[in-house]
Amino acid sequence: MRLTSLGLVRGLIGYFVGLVIGMAVVVAGRLLLGMEAWNPEAVWVGGIIFALMGFLLGIGAMSDWITWTRGGDTPLRHGPPEGKPAWTRYFGVDYNHKVIGIQYGVTGFILLLVGGSFALVFRTELADTGISFLQPGTYNTFLSMHGWVALAAILLGIGGLANYLVPLMIGAEDMAFPRLNAFAYWINVPAAITLLLSMLFGWDSGWTAYPPLSLRGPVGYQFMFLAIFIVGLSSILGSLNIIVTMLMMRPKGMTLFRMPIFCWAILATSLIQLTATQLIGQAFLMLSFERSLGMPFFNPLYNAAGENIGGQPLLFQNLFWFYSHPAVYVFVLPGLGVISELLPVFSRKPLFGYRWVALSSLAIALVGFLVWGHHMFTSGYQPYLRVVFMISTLLVAVPTGVKFFSWLGTLWGGRLTFPTPMLFTLGAISVFLIGGLSGPILATAATDLFLHDTYFVVGHFHATIFGGFVFPFFAAIYFWYPKITGRMYNETLGKLHFWLMTPGFWLMSLAQMTTGTMGMRRRIADYDPALGVQNIQFLVTVAGFIIAFSILIMIYNLFTSAEIGAVAGNNPWRSRSPEWQIPSPVPEHSYAKPISVVGEPYDYGLAGSTYIAMAGAGDD
Amino acid sequence: MLKLPQTSTDRRHFIIVGVLTLVTTVVLGFFMLAILPIKAQKSVQAEPIAWLFQVHIWLIAFLFSLVVVFMLYSLVVFRRRKNDDSEGEHFEGNTALEIIWTVVPLVLVVIFSFIGIQTLNGATSGGDEVQVKATGFQWSWKFDYPNGVTSAEMVLPVGKPALISLESQDVIHSFWVAEWGPKQDLVPGMTTTLHITPDTEGEFKLRCAELCGLSHWSMLATVRVVPEAEYTAWMDQKLAEQNVQTASR
Repeated sequence: MRLTSLGLVRGLIGYFVGLVIGMAVVVAGRLLLGMEAWNPEAVWVGGIIFALMGFLLGIGAMSDWITWTRGGDTPLRHGPPEGKPAWTRYFGVDYNHKVIGIQYGVTGFILLLVGGSFALVFRTELADTGISFLQPGTYNTFLSMHGWVALAAILLGIGGLANYLVPLMIGAEDMAFPRLNAFAYWINVPAAITLLLSMLFGWDSGWTAYPPLSLRGPVGYQFMFLAIFIVGLSSILGSLNIIVTMLMMRPKGMTLFRMPIFCWAILATSLIQLTATQLIGQAFLMLSFERSLGMPFFNPLYNAAGENIGGQPLLFQNLFWFYSHPAVYVFVLPGLGVISELLPVFSRKPLFGYRWVALSSLAIALVGFLVWGHHMFTSGYQPYLRVVFMISTLLVAVPTGVKFFSWLGTLWGGRLTFPTPMLFTLGAISVFLIGGLSGPILATAATDLFLHDTYFVVGHFHATIFGGFVFPFFAAIYFWYPKITGRMYNETLGKLHFWLMTPGFWLMSLAQMTTGTMGMRRRIADYDPALGVQNIQFLVTVAGFIIAFSILIMIYNLFTSAEIGAVAGNNPWRSRSPEWQIPSPVPEHSYAKPISVVGEPYDYGLAGSTYIAMAGAGDD
Repeated sequence: MLKLPQTSTDRRHFIIVGVLTLVTTVVLGFFMLAILPIKAQKSVQAEPIAWLFQVHIWLIAFLFSLVVVFMLYSLVVFRRRKNDDSEGEHFEGNTALEIIWTVVPLVLVVIFSFIGIQTLNGATSGGDEVQVKATGFQWSWKFDYPNGVTSAEMVLPVGKPALISLESQDVIHSFWVAEWGPKQDLVPGMTTTLHITPDTEGEFKLRCAELCGLSHWSMLATVRVVPEAEYTAWMDQKLAEQNVQTASR
């Protein structure tokens, strides 16, 4: 087998060929216009744009569309590519949603490891006062990269969950637009490469990229802006696909209120992604234009009379947070959906208050659009706005509370068992509770004026993201692992992973909050010994390494169990959900016959009830 | 050994959980106050912040206990016993309960909005008997007084309401003396303000709280709060020094 028969290899070649061509085109254009040949901003931006195109052409993510423009016919191919081993389909364009789901999930997991490793680098620096091995410039780059790489990882992880599970859960053959689905995944790969390449030049503003700082730094910013723009484009296309699939392709009898609850979470998430992502794309594009073309959107410029004829820095903050706060709900709603999905299975009870849980996701999504200004309490906007955003932010507590109480109602009176996915679900609840309850203290503006930009916020944010995404994501991986691979993971190693990671995380976030109340600012390369936080900072670092070590155990478990794990069977968890009624691993065409819904999804304990019926032979 | 009730709706379950929740709330509340020592203590504007912080801590202690005690109790009492293959009790929800746990938090939101507005007023208002202009630039601070005195350290008289106006020369910075409580960003192209009435003498550190580039971590200045007489003397001395400099030019 030739190496270039792998789509990914062709894509990478295309990327670097495109990069060179793009840079050459810009240099040539500049020379023709009589300008100086080398201008890093313009030349690199041109290179990146061509590199992205080069990757997509190289891998063939647009081949079918190009064939269509010529009037050609492109039947959907099923199964692994002809004459090649089955694994190769994961390294090229494939239209099966299960393959794309795995591609999303694995890429997300890899980026999560990269982003987490960046954190370990600067956590090591912070273990003691004084600058020991990481110079402040490098420190700022690692810190900033940690933010965006981890957030891109989360978006991809969510794409993995949604792509793999939603069509299976609603009994659909595939997503509504399989080619768009593959395209939306593959643009993430060159975007991730571009984001990582930004480290060659560095950038130092943190993930928020507030101007004017982000207009001044090195050209690494341009790599980051364009990479995030593309990741955002993927969010928009992916969520469009999911919404159409969910609304148009459900089987007979599956009303919206009879969907598995995870689908509701994904529906709410996709609505946010489809409508809010444009704002950050636009904001980052404006930064890119301001840097490379000198368009004054954000940086103030003064005329001779001292009047500002330029831009307004706060405009960026509004645009940025109008996406980036709802984005936090994009990060956590799918995870909360996983919690709601798994609890009934391991409690052997119906989900308590299904409709309330379903609608609370939509409520969180809607209120989430009204709270962006709580990131700007100290920004210098009109003081009365603090009151408006304080009240809207506190309102988020109401639908979030409904979820917590409904989870407790689900556990109450059940027959609980505690395999690894259930442990991670319970761990997620405990961690998300820490994150959630430390929210209102930041919502009331007075306390936020003190806590803003301190480690208290760092602790709060990581607790919501770990509780709302990382723990549920791991729960989901362990839970659906037998469905994906056909084999069980190792339960002992799974429990070891849980019992290292969970206390490690509690320690980490509480210690971060402590240093915040003691006056430790965010995003600083070194801190004053007079603050008296060295010991606590050391604890945070140790806890970070414990979490990292536990994740290595998980990776080992997942790899070895795929070979030697016990054969799982169709439905090891005795779940009622459709995907567990078909063979593991799921065959190429998931459902041999169309399914129909004949009952409620979570009627555990109701004698004689079933959720779905498979059409038998001959009764179509 | 206590014999636990068999059905999940037995009132005794809820009495046990209720008592455990209250006990846990008290323990957790004091624990959190110990591990979250809020530094905002040394200005008039810091008082409502520190007070509201403690109110939050007790609410957090209660809500955390409520959820965690219910959860842990369920994990112990409703775990599946050996050789028990039965399913859980079949109930799909309870609309009355759902309405209660929607409305009660809503009432709490209204209460906290009200308290929030009150404390916000306290934390952001004050007089302007002393006026200082603080200018931030990468990566240092400069302070100008109305009488023309310019200084690299900020000196304020104790107990006098000060109005600090904030300007940035380059990127966004944030003015924060942790002991005083509130912080305020410095935005290029705008003048922002901060009311501080320091009520404790001493030397504090002003630290930039908004990432502003390479040396953000070390963008510090010394802030001294002194008796009024000492403040006047410092001001006179500064004026004299600057006059000598101007005259010698």
